[in-house]
Amino acid sequence: MKGDEVQSAKRRIRVPRVLLFPALVLVLYGILFAVSPDKTGVALNRSGSIFLSMLLPLALVVLLMLALNLFLKPSQVVRFLGRGAGIKGAALSVVGGIISTGPIYAWYPLLTELRQKGAGNSMLAIFLGNRAVKPFLLPIMISYFGWIYVVILTVLTVAGSLAVGYSVGALVREQTGLRSGESPASE
Amino acid sequence: MKIAVSADGPDLEASVAHAFGTAPYLLIVDLSRQTFEAVPNPGATGQRGAGMRAVVLAISKDVKAVLTGYCGPAAQRQFAENGIDVRTGVSGKVKDVVDGYRKGELEEGEALTGAPLDGAAIRRDALVQALRRSARQFAMILPMLVGVVLLIGLFSAFVPQNLLLAVFSGNPLLDTLLGACFGSLFAGNPINSYVIGGELLAAGASLFAVTALIVAWVTVGVIQLPAEIAAMGTRFALVRNGLSLVMAMGIAAVTVLILRLVSGLD
Repeated sequence: MKGDEVQSAKRRIRVPRVLLFPALVLVLYGILFAVSPDKTGVALNRSGSIFLSMLLPLALVVLLMLALNLFLKPSQVVRFLGRGAGIKGAALSVVGGIISTGPIYAWYPLLTELRQKGAGNSMLAIFLGNRAVKPFLLPIMISYFGWIYVVILTVLTVAGSLAVGYSVGALVREQTGLRSGESPASE
Repeated sequence: MKIAVSADGPDLEASVAHAFGTAPYLLIVDLSRQTFEAVPNPGATGQRGAGMRAVVLAISKDVKAVLTGYCGPAAQRQFAENGIDVRTGVSGKVKDVVDGYRKGELEEGEALTGAPLDGAAIRRDALVQALRRSARQFAMILPMLVGVVLLIGLFSAFVPQNLLLAVFSGNPLLDTLLGACFGSLFAGNPINSYVIGGELLAAGASLFAVTALIVAWVTVGVIQLPAEIAAMGTRFALVRNGLSLVMAMGIAAVTVLILRLVSGLD
């Protein structure tokens, strides 16, 4: 029971953390409103117009998010990573990086685990580099920069991640926990 | 063939743990080699998403079956989609349960209380899970995005545009370097980098700087560097982040040059 209480207390703390930054900005607004109400009003108007311009792209983001969550599963990323080397392995790492979601901290334990299983540094670095490509956020990016820019940047980001990945593989000694053919099982 | 058993301890004498997601250990038993591996369950903390971490671990171990006391529908769905057989309602010593499974006794025993989900139930559950997951993701993104947009409003009203143009001087090389450095220092959802970059661009910063900021925002992480070092090793983390910083600048330069070529802009 005590453990449950600790967990629920932790959950209670997590919610304000998410709201901490906007709350601080609102406090800043309050202070600045007292000092310069006119300029603060201008700031609020400017923020409002930014939000209005983002409404449609944000709606598309939600729809894309739903579609990706429906058809792509986090567990599939596990199957993509650390399977095979060469072009196939790199392609799977690219796809794994693109469809992976959530904060990077959540992925480190899995990457460590995959490395223990023999996944190469190149593949892990390619995975990390491709997390920069976020399909569900493309509507926002296109609304700001146009689709030509987004296409060019996306292609170059994938290409750049491959270059970084293979360079990391060449420069960093492999640190797998197993020798080739060794089984992790023991009794 | 490997199977995963949720366990209270790290050996075959341990009891089967009731909840798969929060069991202290997952025993990965290789039936053909007659060996096993005791893996501390990353989900044992019981924090949000704990169950899914255990599921991901089991899938990464290439298991073909999971034996446990209880496994939630979301986890069952993930296993089913990966072709993994799930047996719930299992109890007793791990070695007895494994023997029972090996002999086929578990398939028709009373322990099989958890019937597999049918196709329609899996699809319905998948939609509900996707909706929940999307709502959670959006709820995590939105507060930060609101804060960033409000802050941009303040900057545009209180900070003179000349100051921004003094920082981003218009020199492509310096602007790209500055953009990449700013991007490396910040972390969080990349949607914020798009909004900040878009507004910087509107305020007169160069596309070189903005592109470098956007690319470095995700690929280079100064704030999460200690975590990356702990997980992947110092050399890996430093080399990867260093190369990614250089790559962010390279990508920014090439992107802008290609864009100018394609769109005929100066």
